[in-house]
Amino acid sequence: MSSVRIENASKAYGGLKILHEVSVDVADGEFVVLVGPSGCGKSTLLRMIAGLENVTSGTISIGEKVVNNVLPKDRDIAMVFQSYALYPHMTVAENMAFSLMLKKASRQQIAAKVGPAAQILGLTPLLDRYPRQLSGGQRQRVAMGRAIVRDPQVFLFDEPLSNLDANLRVTMRGEIRALHQKLGTTTVYVTHDQVEAMTMADKIVVMREGRIEQVGHPLELYDQPRNMFVGGFIGSPSMNFLEATLDEASLTIGGIALRRPETMPNVDAATVICGIRPEHFELRDDGVPMEVAVVEPLGSETQVIGTIAGQSLVCILKQRLRARQGEILYLAPQTDKVIYFDKSTQVNIGI
Amino acid sequence: MNPLVLASRRPVAVIARALALLFLVSFLFFPVYWMMVTALKPNQQIFVQFPEFIPTHPVLDNFKRAISQSNLPTYLVNSMITAGGSSLLTTTLAALAAYGFAKYRFSGRFATMNIMIGAQMFPFAVILISLYPMMQSAGLLDTLTGLTIAYVVFALPPAIYILFSFYSRLPNELIEAARIDGASEIAILRRIVLPLSKPALISVAVYSFTWAWNDLLYSLTLVTSDNLRTIGPGLLLTFFGEMQQDWGGAMAAAILASLPAVIIFAFLQRFFVAGLTSGAVKS
Repeated sequence: MSSVRIENASKAYGGLKILHEVSVDVADGEFVVLVGPSGCGKSTLLRMIAGLENVTSGTISIGEKVVNNVLPKDRDIAMVFQSYALYPHMTVAENMAFSLMLKKASRQQIAAKVGPAAQILGLTPLLDRYPRQLSGGQRQRVAMGRAIVRDPQVFLFDEPLSNLDANLRVTMRGEIRALHQKLGTTTVYVTHDQVEAMTMADKIVVMREGRIEQVGHPLELYDQPRNMFVGGFIGSPSMNFLEATLDEASLTIGGIALRRPETMPNVDAATVICGIRPEHFELRDDGVPMEVAVVEPLGSETQVIGTIAGQSLVCILKQRLRARQGEILYLAPQTDKVIYFDKSTQVNIGI
Repeated sequence: MNPLVLASRRPVAVIARALALLFLVSFLFFPVYWMMVTALKPNQQIFVQFPEFIPTHPVLDNFKRAISQSNLPTYLVNSMITAGGSSLLTTTLAALAAYGFAKYRFSGRFATMNIMIGAQMFPFAVILISLYPMMQSAGLLDTLTGLTIAYVVFALPPAIYILFSFYSRLPNELIEAARIDGASEIAILRRIVLPLSKPALISVAVYSFTWAWNDLLYSLTLVTSDNLRTIGPGLLLTFFGEMQQDWGGAMAAAILASLPAVIIFAFLQRFFVAGLTSGAVKS
């Protein structure tokens, strides 16, 4: 196992810059997820760690060694691709043994590595099959098996679950996580799915347009997003953004003045954007009027979609309620949970 | 086609369709049929005013003559050498070139490839005109090596094109996975790319083999010694001269000469079709 250190890494294709001086530290044994919308450069960054793309400027180190000019095969990494990239003309066993065969390992050595890896992943009965005879989840496991057999310093995953159906994705998420706990191998995992990021990561790196927006523990990002992008990207349903005006005594949302909370950052009277998680609303008679659009009873909670002063909003309420479209509900945000963003810079003004 | 489907259609349409197919089939196969029929007739029966479509007294004399009178075995061996050699060489070169064009980024790759493929635009007789002096100065005129190279010249561009379209479709991730697994570029080609491209390689090999096997013009022009002649010109010059026209013998020899190509094609046609159409539709 090894740490991975990315320092001021940039990537440009001709004049087009894809990554802008990105720095990430991955500690030994850590599970780090790179997340962001498509085109944010997360896969490019992963491919640079793998050595499939060269680094335009900056350095990438695995362990103590700068690997900018090291070939992929000499980086001691293993990668799982989105399409699994199993060799179609080889059986499961041959797929898993391929890297060992290239190293001229003996038959016994190969069996000693492939056997236990197949065991861990429940692939033992499938070893003689070809990839075309496997289901999506099984192929995914073979791809992981191929990585495990190498016993690498670092695992790299490039959106490994996005070709699976929703149920299988949840199962495989757990399996990958369990595997990491068992093996403890340093892992860098790319996904566009923030739920995957939240549930799997020790540390999340949120990226946008070739830049890192924030790095942190999943709940740290959830509770204290550095800007509106991170606030909106992490969490489902998304954080609500409501425009509000602020003076010394009160916070006015949708024409209704609420008491200015004590946790309020010390800013002058201004227009701010309040970031409020859907679950941080409660029904209260002195709240802000919301016009109901849709009510979705989920049993344990009720999701209500509506508008406050023309701004759309999603909230999750603990109680069950019946409300028709067009009806007015009075909602109050839990003011100590509200996050305030500067309207022009979109930056969290509380940190 | 399922007979029930046929029966459910309007009879006029069915008949029209059948006639159209019959016309097409006879158009394609009548020469072959006529070759076989002629080979079984004695020469004096071939030129009668009302020819027999099914020979009433088939004879094998023509076949005997084709084998004993001509240098048929020598011609066959020469054709095997040139067609087989050029097929092997074409497939090898095309596989390397097409893989390079499809999977490596280097400046000028499209320009280079277009120039190579553009060579296909010239009629092969025109290429022959420039090839002749080159062969002459290289001392390759009237040699099987020279003829083999000439066949490669002509078969290579379409071969590259067929393989290029195949390799373009091969997922990059497979190659990248192998690269991470520790395979060298040669190992990737040998253990991943070539095994996966077997159908395309076979179709290219069959294509270049049949092209060389069927050739008349190049062989007739570049080879002059009788013991180096390939099957096409060999038979032509044996059975047709200023003084004689032995159609029966020529047809019998033609049947014998087509057999190897027919056999190869019959065995490999599955791959051939798969190779040519691969990439045409999303699988």
